[in-house]
Amino acid sequence: MALSPMDSPRSVPGPAKTLAAKTKALAVQNAASSPLSSGASTPTEGTMDLAEQMNDQTRKQFVTGARLGEGTYAIVYAGHYRHDPTRLVAIKKIKVNADYKDGVAMDAIREIKYLQELSHPNIIKLHAVFSTKDQNLSLVLEHLPLGDLEQLWKNKDVRYGGADIKAWACMLARAVWFCHKNFVLHRDIKGNNLLIAADGNVKLADFGLARSFADPFRPMTYNVITRFYRPPELLYGARYYGGAVDVWSMGVVFAELALREFFLPSETDIQQLSVICDVFGTPTEETWPGVSKLEFYTPPSNPSSRPQPLQFWRARFGILGDDGIELLRAMLTMDPKRRLTAQQVLEHRYWTNAPRPTEKEDLPKNGGGAKVMGEDLKRRGGEIESGRADKVARKLFG
Amino acid sequence: MRYTEDEVYRASSQFRLWSFTAEQLAAQRAETNKAAVERVKAAVHRQRAQRQKESVTGSESERNGSGVDNQAVNGVQKEVEYLTVAEEQKIVNHLAETLIKLGEHFRFPVEVVATGIQFLKRFYLYNSPMTYEPQLISRSSIFLANKTENHHLTAEKYAAGFPKTTAEQILAPEYLIIQALRFTFDVRHPFRGLKGGHMEMMAMAQGQGIAPEAHGRTAAEMQAEMLYLPVRVGGAQNRMTPEELASRITTAYTKASSILKHAAILTDAYFLYTPSQIWLSAHLIADEPLTAFYLSTKFPSPPTSSPQYNKLLTTLTFCKKLLLSHHSLSPSNSSASSEDEMKAKEAEQAAGIGALIKKLRHCRDPDKIDLVKLNKAVKRDAVQDGQLEEQKAKRRKMEREGFKKEADSFWGPELPKKE
Ligand SMILES: Nc1ncnc2c1ncn2[C@@H]1O[C@H](COP(=O)(O)OP(=O)(O)O)[C@@H](O)[C@H]1O
Repeated sequence: MALSPMDSPRSVPGPAKTLAAKTKALAVQNAASSPLSSGASTPTEGTMDLAEQMNDQTRKQFVTGARLGEGTYAIVYAGHYRHDPTRLVAIKKIKVNADYKDGVAMDAIREIKYLQELSHPNIIKLHAVFSTKDQNLSLVLEHLPLGDLEQLWKNKDVRYGGADIKAWACMLARAVWFCHKNFVLHRDIKGNNLLIAADGNVKLADFGLARSFADPFRPMTYNVITRFYRPPELLYGARYYGGAVDVWSMGVVFAELALREFFLPSETDIQQLSVICDVFGTPTEETWPGVSKLEFYTPPSNPSSRPQPLQFWRARFGILGDDGIELLRAMLTMDPKRRLTAQQVLEHRYWTNAPRPTEKEDLPKNGGGAKVMGEDLKRRGGEIESGRADKVARKLFG
Repeated sequence: MRYTEDEVYRASSQFRLWSFTAEQLAAQRAETNKAAVERVKAAVHRQRAQRQKESVTGSESERNGSGVDNQAVNGVQKEVEYLTVAEEQKIVNHLAETLIKLGEHFRFPVEVVATGIQFLKRFYLYNSPMTYEPQLISRSSIFLANKTENHHLTAEKYAAGFPKTTAEQILAPEYLIIQALRFTFDVRHPFRGLKGGHMEMMAMAQGQGIAPEAHGRTAAEMQAEMLYLPVRVGGAQNRMTPEELASRITTAYTKASSILKHAAILTDAYFLYTPSQIWLSAHLIADEPLTAFYLSTKFPSPPTSSPQYNKLLTTLTFCKKLLLSHHSLSPSNSSASSEDEMKAKEAEQAAGIGALIKKLRHCRDPDKIDLVKLNKAVKRDAVQDGQLEEQKAKRRKMEREGFKKEADSFWGPELPKKE
């Protein structure tokens, strides 16, 4: 595992790499010319050091356009490459937080750190990073114009079926698997962090809460993940956790796609736990060994909730089929040790059983208006529209 | 869905931006040095011209913060002596060693220290100590490493661990460092690989090893072979009890681990080799027959008939040589030499560094001395809110003098004061 012949470190051409290859890598990476080849010996540009010059070159490559939106720690602008206005990007400019006294914001550090390492078709691509004169960091990201998965299920003009859900969920599962393979926890998986590219690809974005989980003995904060998507172990205050937290969130997103409604909405952390227990039953030492040792665990009061029967799932998630329901329930297992890993999720037969996931070009799209509707009419018949499950859920939680 | 460690490493920024051949590394350092010298030269010229103008008008006020000492005595201009690449390296390496002590003092996790040292080394691949004061950069590098490794520490608390140091001073170079790091924060260390390899060897020793199919040896066969491993390569077979074998594996791990925490992070190993190559080389130094056996289980038998195996071995031999070149592993550092000799050597080294620091003081880039001021100037230019009140300017000048003096005293073996 640590070293197989295939993985022989010598087959990594790092030390032996050619200068040309290196230069290319640099150009691709930060879109700045390589310091190894750019005649660094003529530092003529005023008092700028080499790194400042490289940064300047990167910055000049992009043109910032209209404001697209504002998040908690950044403002996102449309943008494009200066030399080619058809190559669109999104420029995420980190806001200055006056209350944070320790320099560059941690969200920015985390997002940059992990996006620099993770290169995968279902993870948002980081083209470059630069800092502006006023020392604000800007991330140049892949342009993802078709909204996000939450907008998609909320948009009643968009109709979709089981094969489409399978395609979206599969892209999500691949992204999560890849993160975990790289020992990265995302810790904020939810519909509106799953952006949609022009070609229909789903991309996991917003790595501002991500961290490595290589060291199982270092405690972590339990105060992560947006509440509706937060797994029970974090609500109970677990400080040692792993990939299972993301798998739970992924399960909730999967459920929402099917329901077209929030699956586990609540107003407070306490209420979140009771909403979860209403569906999955209150955990005990028998159903989840070790749960009683978690900081905020309280033994079930009388009468304690019992898990909902299969019928509950069939009534709401029929659109997923029996194997889809089985997968969903396995992702939403209360005990994180028994919850599926991202690898096991991908190995589930749901993905290969009929129906085949929709090709990404054919997926229904957000915001396409009449065009989307038109395309939708051409779609194969027999697809279940998931509005029915939606009403049931509303009755349950409303 | 097969996704090998090799592929993971190839995608990493460490591989893409921070891996070099020895020649590339040397060439880049020469370039950086040359660029820095030219910059300081230009700045010195500018300053001398300015001074001449000032001496005509009688103004002495703006002399503060000059790195190039006033060497124009009675109009005779002495040529400035600049640091060579080798001297720059000595200074940076000295600072890196200081960071290990600093990490112990603050009880930072090993990853934080190792990452901070790589940040420092990466920073000085594209910058010269003549441009940016290495002591300030090193302190800030390790602070940044605390952030990137998710080890919570406030700038204020950290600064309080040093004499007369403010959070502002710690944070001032952060952007410079982040830029020089080319916005990559992830450093791949060999620690986890070593742990994994160690666990694998332990499993093999207990008859639970798994060799690739092509290799064709059973777990029991591997265990049996292991129990007869010679003490030295080419030495006689040496029958061990399972307990003796287990303790031998643990001893090797401990030694390799200590090499990873010193020689591996203080040499250029991270620039030149992959994390697996580094931990394997350290393990080779710790116990060659054991490591050779472990490697042999990864290739079809006999391994020497595999070109990949031979290539790997050659690489490991070079890496091992590099690690052994570090003074922490030099023979004179072991029991052979007396305490006095060691002390004499340390003193000699300290004197050598002292002389370099003195030399550095005469060839610094005067534009880049006060990083706090520089940082503020950058921000100020950006927001166009121009003027600083007299009071602030005065306070800043005092701060500047304060930390210049303190920087002078730092260079000894002195450590930050206890919190
Ligand atoms: N890569 C992108 N391409 C296009 N638009 C984007 C991209 N990233 C973000 N946006 C837009 O900017 C808005 C703000 O994004 P973000 O900072 O991630 O905040 P939040 O996730 O809190 O909404 C989003 O709602 C979206 O409309």
